[in-house]
Amino acid sequence: MLRKRLIFTLIYNNGYFMQSRNFRLQKVGNIDWLEKNYRLKDLSFSLDELIVLNVSRENRDIKEFSTILSRLVNDVFIPICAGGGVRCMKDAEILFESGADKIILNTSIYKDKDFVFDLIKRYGSQSIIASVDYNGNNVFINNGAQVVDIGLDDYIKYINNIGFGELYLNSMEKDGTGFGYDLDLAKRVANNISIPLIVAGGAGNEKHLIQALMTDCINAVATANLFNFIGDGLPKAREKILFTNGNLAQW
Amino acid sequence: MSKKIFWCKNCLNMSTRPRITFDDRGWCNACQWMEEKKILDWTPRKNELINLLDKYRSTNGNFDCIVPVSGGKDGSYVAYQLKHKYGINPLAITVKPALSLEIGNQNLSNFIQSGFNHIHISCNPVVLDRLNKYGFIEKGLPYYGWLIAIMTAVIKTAANFKIPLIFYGEDGEIEYGGSTESKNKPSYDIEYMKRIYLEGGHEKVFNRIRADGDISEADLAFFQFPTEVEVSEVGLSFTHWSYYETWDSYRNYIVAKEHCGLIEKDGGNQDTFTNFSQNDQALYSLHAYLMYLKFGFGRATQDAGIEIRRGSMTRDQALNLVKMYDNSYPYDLIDMFLAYYCMTREEFDLVLDKYVNRDLFGKVDGVWRPKFTVGEDFVI
Amino acid sequence: MKLVIVDYGMGNIKSIIGALKYLKVREIIVSNNSHEILSADKLILPGVGSFSVAMHNIKELRIDKCLKDAVLVDNKPILGICLGMQLMGESSTEGLYTDGLGFIKGMVSKFSAPDLKIPHVGFNQVSINKNTRLFKNINDLSDFYFVHSFKMSSSANISQSLCTYDNEFIAAYEKGNIAGVQFHPELSQINGLKLLDNFIKYF
Repeated sequence: MLRKRLIFTLIYNNGYFMQSRNFRLQKVGNIDWLEKNYRLKDLSFSLDELIVLNVSRENRDIKEFSTILSRLVNDVFIPICAGGGVRCMKDAEILFESGADKIILNTSIYKDKDFVFDLIKRYGSQSIIASVDYNGNNVFINNGAQVVDIGLDDYIKYINNIGFGELYLNSMEKDGTGFGYDLDLAKRVANNISIPLIVAGGAGNEKHLIQALMTDCINAVATANLFNFIGDGLPKAREKILFTNGNLAQW
Repeated sequence: MSKKIFWCKNCLNMSTRPRITFDDRGWCNACQWMEEKKILDWTPRKNELINLLDKYRSTNGNFDCIVPVSGGKDGSYVAYQLKHKYGINPLAITVKPALSLEIGNQNLSNFIQSGFNHIHISCNPVVLDRLNKYGFIEKGLPYYGWLIAIMTAVIKTAANFKIPLIFYGEDGEIEYGGSTESKNKPSYDIEYMKRIYLEGGHEKVFNRIRADGDISEADLAFFQFPTEVEVSEVGLSFTHWSYYETWDSYRNYIVAKEHCGLIEKDGGNQDTFTNFSQNDQALYSLHAYLMYLKFGFGRATQDAGIEIRRGSMTRDQALNLVKMYDNSYPYDLIDMFLAYYCMTREEFDLVLDKYVNRDLFGKVDGVWRPKFTVGEDFVI
Repeated sequence: MKLVIVDYGMGNIKSIIGALKYLKVREIIVSNNSHEILSADKLILPGVGSFSVAMHNIKELRIDKCLKDAVLVDNKPILGICLGMQLMGESSTEGLYTDGLGFIKGMVSKFSAPDLKIPHVGFNQVSINKNTRLFKNINDLSDFYFVHSFKMSSSANISQSLCTYDNEFIAAYEKGNIAGVQFHPELSQINGLKLLDNFIKYF
């Protein structure tokens, strides 16, 4: 039986990992801090996948990001998905070479359709994930700074026809609030796409994760809540999900 | 006689917290109040608010009420609600703290810019600083002068402008775990302020200042409480917004961000995981650290309690954060504090030592370390 | 022991290297050079992406011939991963109808069922064939990480271990020196590491 997935998203910004609340970022710590407080090697045993997003707004240095990525993937034996500012083939190459198993795209989906097609053609649809940041019926690109002129429903339809492997749907409104996921909308979207759905934005504790994982059409849950899941937060959350018969892999 | 030290079973409030009480589940009164708030019928209280506002609404174009603000989320929220939801004409007042932070100044400016009438009071810094220092030394309250002034200076202004109604934000005793005596009382009085907020000691600090001989009674004007007579002449009435509407500090943050231009501290804090509250003055960190040394819980515990009570975090999750952040000697601000108080590091640390609860802490390599593990009840 | 990962331009080789290093494999070569391939002790054929593009690359680089020699003549142990596993079959319906390397009998076709989310992504359970070296000391129905839109089926006697997504398909096969896994052992936590270790030890 296919399992659902618990995914952690690391938000990276110019040397630091960040906590996001309604898309406002707070610096938390650098990779040393992360290694100390999240014990990455152990951590990956509580996760099904790891996503690392480079949200640096000024001076987005993909080489520097790829160095951090390489360090993160050391001795981590789950899929790693990387993204943030992927605008050309070279960006994707660098990330794949640094250990990414998948690439996640956001702004490029709207701005450079040709690039997206080329990327999928070269690396296969299963390696490319579409990320959508939304608020209400509006879709945003460029780290939430710019609104797009297509409504959410149409944008999702558009994405579904391109040939991505998965959809990462992120609620800007719920982001970092710890109020739980926007499940009603997620269900609506899931029923209109033929690719797996990862829901993101709003998880504060394991109750939110459990609730989303129990929703049939949702394939994976993602959280970027660094503070709430610090220390033994993720292993404990996974334990609790499994204890309530959540459908997650076991090792 | 041994005493048990324990933590609330729901949040991480400690039994050492002054005036806190627990029910037989081991839930503190802040958590009990959180449950009550959910099922409480707020209508009667809302009506009381409307009546109160009607009663005090100015009939001659004067301001209707006063809202003390710092530029932070809570005062901004209250002022915003009064103006835009209730059609009230508030006068916002800020009492300038010592060592104000750049981000605090920015937030205050943004708040005012969003459309409020505002008075910025600077109490004579010579007096303020002296009161702060004596408060630090005599009571372990590093901004004691300011704590007094946010009441007295505001009241004095209210009296002079003839605006009797003053809306403070939340009653911290009710919301965060303290005395529940005013739970069902909308308004409170000066006696309560002196006893609870100033911990009944402000005369002692005043006497020390008078003994210095270089500060006159007139200089202390902004720090003096009015007399009973003065209070009734103006008809002063102090009340907490948290009585009339469920207090939700995260909601306040969202509203302040959206409507009053509140910004957060991008770099985060040394002593807690939040970055969107208590950003107005540097001395707050010291205040929180002294609270930690006196009682065993710091700023992170407070913030964690708020997160747990609003349902975003579990107690287990909070434990990790409290362990990480609570014991936070203000290394990043120590130079600023020493310069401010004109003290050496040794003198400063000696003051801290005076307030450390030695049942809870032991000095290891010159640093106070907890003898306890957060969340694990123990006996002293 | 010299392990050569066949590089034809497709496949997350870095993750595989990471896993092999963790398992203390000392000599790991990434190459498409026929000399290297023919002097390897063991081979890994990785792959992510399009079957037809992969076969095109392999033919361009003339790896097909030396792989045939290495595997079918010299009987070198080879582990095909994901697309690599499919490439060793006869054909795929992906893109244009494409011939594979033909090392084992098996055909690749796309998942298709109404309401089925494609690709098949995530950890899924493998029903392990009793006759196995790859899964030695691994519990039946253990979870492994899959991410693919095409699947393989075969009527051949190749110790098939199966997985179910809508219908059953081959999760792994092994016959003699040839083994293939549809899932990614380098991304399958401890189960995957055990499997890779088994390939190294028992092939």
